[in-house]
Amino acid sequence: MVHQPCILTEIMSYFMSVFAFRNLVLPVQTKTLLKKHSIILLVFGFFAGLVFLGFFMTPYNPVETNFLNRLGSPSWQNWFGTDQMGRDIATRILYGAGWSVGLALIVSTAGAVIGTIIGLLAGSLGRLVDGFCMRMTDSFFAFPELIAAIVITGVLGPNTINMVIALILVSWMRFARLVRALTEDIKRRDYVIQAKLNKIPYYLVLSRHYLPNIILSVVVIWTSSWSRTILSISGLSFLGFGVQPPQAEWGAMLLDGKPYMLSAPHVMIFPGLAVLITVLTLNLMGDHLRDHLQALEK
Amino acid sequence: MLEVNKLSVRMQKQNLLEDISFQLNRGETLCIIGESGSGKTTLLRTLLGLIPMSQGSVMLESQVYQSPEQSQIGLPSTQIVMQDPIAALNPRQKIKCSIAESLYKLSLQAAEIDQAVKQALRDVELPEGMENRYPSQISLGQAQRVCIARAIVAKPGILFFDEPLSALDAIIQKQIAQLLYRLKKQNALSYIFVTHDLGFARHYADKILLLNNGKVEEYRDVNLFFQRPESRYGQELLEAAYILGSLPQKKTEEFRVA
Repeated sequence: MVHQPCILTEIMSYFMSVFAFRNLVLPVQTKTLLKKHSIILLVFGFFAGLVFLGFFMTPYNPVETNFLNRLGSPSWQNWFGTDQMGRDIATRILYGAGWSVGLALIVSTAGAVIGTIIGLLAGSLGRLVDGFCMRMTDSFFAFPELIAAIVITGVLGPNTINMVIALILVSWMRFARLVRALTEDIKRRDYVIQAKLNKIPYYLVLSRHYLPNIILSVVVIWTSSWSRTILSISGLSFLGFGVQPPQAEWGAMLLDGKPYMLSAPHVMIFPGLAVLITVLTLNLMGDHLRDHLQALEK
Repeated sequence: MLEVNKLSVRMQKQNLLEDISFQLNRGETLCIIGESGSGKTTLLRTLLGLIPMSQGSVMLESQVYQSPEQSQIGLPSTQIVMQDPIAALNPRQKIKCSIAESLYKLSLQAAEIDQAVKQALRDVELPEGMENRYPSQISLGQAQRVCIARAIVAKPGILFFDEPLSALDAIIQKQIAQLLYRLKKQNALSYIFVTHDLGFARHYADKILLLNNGKVEEYRDVNLFFQRPESRYGQELLEAAYILGSLPQKKTEEFRVA
């Protein structure tokens, strides 16, 4: 019997070859990182894949109510049960990931980009720019993060966009401080002095010398910022400042389930577990990255 | 070729360098010696334009290029090799990119840069394929050779060295010193070394500039200096070196084997 190549196998083997380490054009350090910490990356990939596939797998609509099936216990039809409006909790958790994890990703990435730019400018340019950027950072740091976010959202109006703006405004300073400290250190390195002597333009020094040497540290902080932002978004939604009903957001789901905490605990347990597992995975990923970074520096 | 006239550097109401004058002709080697804090590295950095001078002038080929009014960083005819070769190379940049940076101001085509990088690596006796490695994948001696390749690739007239051998072990020191001597002869280069190693200065230099507290104690021919130092400080320095055994009684030409 002649073996017929299957299109699916072809596609799979193509992706396997793309992701095979030997074919990846990556620095050695990155390859080692992927090899060493493959387990936590696989766990993260599994959850990310589950969320992505969940949109296509679930037969339920996350906002469609079914009052005949209110507060239903976990069953084969509804794996995590149903909430007070008869909506499938598993579906809402999968869709909620888009809000909780997705918005947190946007917030932490925007914070990382803004903070990195400010930190780079402060650390690499003169005292005047440094003084201005750092005093600005200090003044933003003066307010407790969540309280400031609540105030900003309260002033702008409680909705998702305003919550994102508020959280970005209170999340960039950590990055700015870290990047500024790293940039200050790199500025004194011989290769930066050499680049100055070779009249390499500022933007090239930034992209060739500063950025590649700080990016891994930024990624470590970014993962922890991502997980912290998930908590902040859930917290703000729980307090009614964030994602508004009927959208499925984990914090908002917790808020909705609060009156039924004792009679139908699954309404709060599963969204709570989703927050816990996601934050834990991201924190572990950050820890692994930090360990890798420290090993590299040694 | 290089003429330094009454160079002074004053910072935060302190005189870091005072009235430094010397000359360096093509193909000559000058060793700047003195104790730590005497102003050796400050002088080197001022010559490169990294530290502004408060008085005096530095002339290159009879043209003023550093003065209190005019400070130029990174002339094509000058390059520097630093003390710690690993710290002098960006750990996230391939060797070829590090070397190619020296060619930036020459505005060459990609193919020309590639060729020049390969030639520079051959000149410093590094094997083929080294250009695609990262600094973490090469030894300390190889890293110093890469730094030298980076310095010579733009074909400078003067090379500055800030203690280039101090981070290396004795055998590598000898190999690098011989390599530098060969490159100097081949390309008619002038060298300015900042060093603590009096033995190296004795074997290698044509002229000695002895600094103490930012002032020139002696500026003389190397043989005259090591035979009979004129200043009290110079005598003390040599005495200490003889007692510690860091300065051999006899001069050897071993370093100068090309």
